[in-house]
Parts: sequence; C-alpha cells; structure tokens
Amino acid sequence: MEYLRIAFGALASNKIRAFLTMLGVIIGVASVIMLVAIGEGAKQYIRDQLMGMGSNMLIITPGKTETRGGGPPMMSGVHKLTMGDALALEKRATALAYVCPVVAGTAPIKYGIRERNVQVAGVAETMADVYTWKVDVGSFFSKTDIEARRRVVVIGRTIQKELFGQENPLGKMVKIGQTKFRVIGMMARKGSMLGQDVDDHIFIPVTTGMDLFDQDGLIEIITKVVNENMVEQAKEQIKAALMPRHGNEEDFTIITQAGMLDTVQAILGTFTYVLGGIASISLLVGGIGIMNIMLVSVSERTREIGLRKAIGAAQRDIRIQFLIESVTLSMLGGIIGILFGSGVAVTTHMALPAMPVSISLWSVVTAFSFAVAVGVFFGIYPAMKAARLNPIEALRHE
Amino acid sequence: MTAALIRLSGVGKIYQTGKVRFEALKGIDLTIAQGEFVAIVGPSGSGKSTLLNILGLLDTPTSGTYHLAGDEVSGLNDTELAALRNHRLGFVFQSFNLLPRYSIADNVALPMIYAGKSGKERRARAAELLAQLGLGSKIDNLPTELSGGQQQRVALARALANNPDVIIADEPTGNLDSHTGSEIIELFGQLHDQGRTMVVVTHDPRVAEHAKRVVTIQDGMLLSDVRDADVAGAAVLP
Repeated sequence: MEYLRIAFGALASNKIRAFLTMLGVIIGVASVIMLVAIGEGAKQYIRDQLMGMGSNMLIITPGKTETRGGGPPMMSGVHKLTMGDALALEKRATALAYVCPVVAGTAPIKYGIRERNVQVAGVAETMADVYTWKVDVGSFFSKTDIEARRRVVVIGRTIQKELFGQENPLGKMVKIGQTKFRVIGMMARKGSMLGQDVDDHIFIPVTTGMDLFDQDGLIEIITKVVNENMVEQAKEQIKAALMPRHGNEEDFTIITQAGMLDTVQAILGTFTYVLGGIASISLLVGGIGIMNIMLVSVSERTREIGLRKAIGAAQRDIRIQFLIESVTLSMLGGIIGILFGSGVAVTTHMALPAMPVSISLWSVVTAFSFAVAVGVFFGIYPAMKAARLNPIEALRHE
Repeated sequence: MTAALIRLSGVGKIYQTGKVRFEALKGIDLTIAQGEFVAIVGPSGSGKSTLLNILGLLDTPTSGTYHLAGDEVSGLNDTELAALRNHRLGFVFQSFNLLPRYSIADNVALPMIYAGKSGKERRARAAELLAQLGLGSKIDNLPTELSGGQQQRVALARALANNPDVIIADEPTGNLDSHTGSEIIELFGQLHDQGRTMVVVTHDPRVAEHAKRVVTIQDGMLLSDVRDADVAGAAVLP
C-alpha cells in the first residue's frame, strides 16, 4: 500500500512524462481492442448474413476450383453450365426443392431521359423462392415468360425511385441496353447484403438475359435443398445429373453455405490475429518506452535510493518500489487504452452503422493482462538496477 | 564504564580496482560506549569516511570484526543489514538528503515505513519529533521552503525517528554558515546530554570542542584518541 502511494507520488510529480510513457501502452491496448472489435463484428455480421440466406442453399459454378467457397470461377473449364444442365437438375435431382439458373451483368437502363447503370440478373421464376424474396407490386415472371424469352423486367426499389420517381412503373416500357422491356413487378425493399444494395438490381428471365449479354453459358445455378439433412444427398444427385452431360468430368464446383461460411470465417479469423499481432507489437514498443523512462527515473533518483537504503530499505524494498511504479504506469495505460479503444469502436459503430463492432471480453482481458505483463517484464531490469545501487556511491551522486 | 555499544577490532578495508590496490583502513581498534559523543577527525583521504561507512553498515570491512550492541555484523546479508540500519542507526548527512517532493513530516516518517509502523504512528511520531526540534509549525512544508539549518534539523528528526542506538553524522555542519552550524552543534550536545550516543565525522573544530572524545585518523590508522579534557583544536588537522 505504502509502495503504491510512493509510486503515484513519483508519477504525479512528472505527469507529462508519465502520460507520454503510457501513450505507447495506451495506443497498443486501444488498437488491440479496436481492431479485434471490428474483426469480430465483421465475422458476426457475415455469419448472420449468410445464415439469413438459409443454410440449405447450394451454388453450382462452372470450372473446378480447388479452394473452398468464394473465389472467381475459372472459365477455362471445357464445358459451360447451360440451361440444359439446369433442366436436367430439375428433373433428376429430387433432393432439390428449387433450381435457379443465373446469368448476370451490368447494363444501362433507360426510361424517358433518365438513364442508369444497373446490375442485371437473368434468373428463373424460382429465384424468389430460393432467396425468399417477395414481389410487393405486380408479379414476378413465370415459367412461360422464360420459355417464350419474353422481354419483361422486375425492378428493385432503388431503381424505381431513380427512374420513375412518383410515377407508377407497372406496364411501362424501359430500354435495357438496346432492347425494350416491360416492367411487370417491383421487389419488396430488402436493403443491403454484404455491402451491396440489393434494391439496386433488376431481374429478367434467364433466357432473355442470355440473349441480352450474348451468352450461351450460365454464371451459376443456385439451388435449394428440400431440407438441411439432405445436403449430402443433393450433392451426389447434382454430380450424377451433371457429369454425364460433361463428358463424365466434374468440371463444376458445388459451393455450400457452410463451406462459404468456413472460408469467410477463416479469412476473417486470420485477419483478426494479424491485426492483434500488429497491435501487440505496439504494446511491446510501449513496454520498451516504460523501461527507458524507468531507467531514467532510477538514475535521476540515485540519491533518493541511496538515502532510502541508508535509513533501512533493503534491496527488496527498492525493487518492489520501482516495479510497482512501472506496473502502475502500464496498468493505467492499459485502463486508458481499453476505455479509449472501446470508445472509438462504439463511436465508429454509431457513425457508420454498416460497420459492425463487437467488443469481446477476451480481448479486453488479454490486452489488460498483456499490458500488466509488459510493465512487470520491462520494469524488472530497472528495478534490479535500482536495488543493486551501492548506497555510498548513490549518496555521493550529483 | 558502560557497556561497549560499538567494538571494532583490527578493522581493515582494501579497495581493489583492477590492479590498483588501496588500503583505506589498516587495522583499526575502536570501542565506543553507550552515551559517548565521539568526533572522528582527520585530513581528506585519511580513511575517516570509510570508517564512517563501515560504522554505518553501508560498507563491510575486508578484515577484522565489528560488534554492534554485542552482535557480530560482518556476516549479515543485505536484508539483515538494512534492518539494523533502520533500527539501531540514524544518519545525518552534510547535504541533508531530504526528499524534495515530500513534506517534512513525510521525510521524518520515512525510516518508520521500513520499520513497518502504521501511518497513524508515523504521523504522530514525526509531529512529536518536529515539535521537539522547534519545527512543529512547519510539518506540512516542503524541504525547499526551509532554511539550511531547519533542513538539517529535519534530517536530525528523521535520524531519531526509530529511536536508534547511535546517531552517525557526516560533516553535519559542512553546508551551514557558522551561526546555524553552532545551533546544530548545540542540538547535538543536547541530544548527548539526553543520553544519546553520537558519532560525528567532521572538519569543524567547534564540533570537536563539543565532543567528549576526539579520535584522529591518518593514513588509515588511529593517530590519537583523546578524551574529555585537552580536546581543543590541537588534534584537529586542516
């Protein structure tokens, strides 16, 4: 207790120096807290988003990719995915509830004098079921529309607002690229997903889309399994249905929801550790700063140490006194750093609600213990040095 | 004759720095009894500071034995020596050595921290000592707000804090003008009259005059040891 009072007294007598010394630890701890909060937040956000899509979705992309999940599909595969593949799946893969072939691209959409570049998705009538998205005005296109390659379009709410304003878009003709389309429905507002504005999309029949983009292959086939327990069975059925059509080669990739989740989690996990590592280095630098200032403090207070020894302080007393001083520095730095880091994380979240943060208890505990450990570790050498001073020389020191 | 508080027998001290060997003390025999007022004098380099450091348990002799209050101290470790310095000895230095950031009461209380006294006891004792030495009104002042003579009185109060057996002073008047120096010497005399044992290393002939015994050191050896009577300046070397 007495040593704590001495330590606070010594630090209070040189507040700016104490603060600057703590700054290293403050920055280190604050960045650990902040970066981990952002990393963890991103992880949770993506998990929620992917889970929201339902865990029984399977996405088939052309080409065989060795890495799991994401990654751009390699188009070097001999066979493209075709409408025929999608039909074969519908017929033969009984574990699949819905099959939705997809083409996609960007194209300008024009109504009157207003024009805008949008994401165009060529999909089947099953898309709304796969994603459980809803059309709230008009209707989605039907199987007949697809088979007849009709030029009809369902638009997102952002597009509606941009192009039509207050006007009712139903039945209006818009120009997509060089082709005229009739608006038959509007999607219910969905907001954004993984940072993309889903309302900024338009949907046209997949067949019409292939004509529009002059493509004979699909970019992916999205399917939904009847229920989660049938995912493995569905994968087997997909292979059985597609491989005979692809010269008995598995030149496509089946991406599962779980696989995507794992990949994203793994990437973000690594990211979090790397950030944590960088932050730990700054903590270490902070520790060196503490050691430096403690050594200065020992040499400045040589006479004081000599006097304390002369009047009865043992080496142990001096050692504890200086050790407590350095630990007090690092501990105060740790506390300020935690408050500051949490403050910044919370403020970031309030300023940018899209940026999720999650301050985890383990990062607070780890950062704080690390800070204290830094104080002990880098305080030992100066404390030993102080304790070992020869009192006669110390008292003579100027 | 009262019991011997301090007994040095054949104490020698050799400093060895690389190949240079320096014999600071050459077999000193010295006995100081309870209640004596001893001045140790001698020219610079005579070894009197080394003798004082050994007496004060800040340094250990390379040969000979030192008994303090009957106990042999040469074999003790750091913690034991620190405890002895704390309980049995009180130091007064030429340059006062007060901690500048501490109030004078806290300065006086310092040795009691290492004696494990409670905060309440320490404050009470510090206030009592400072009152005795005429500084009762200044207990919350910082050392820099006091004159040199007052600072040395604070240092003396600090030396008395744990009620030690011996007060060891190193040139206590060296940094004071002659008037305040005299006051401090008076105070030493009073403490001696109260039965304290005082050992003072000094150049100051006035201190030697007050002392009841003057020990002169030269070239690491005892040159003379004069009691009571003819202690005048004769023995004090420049």
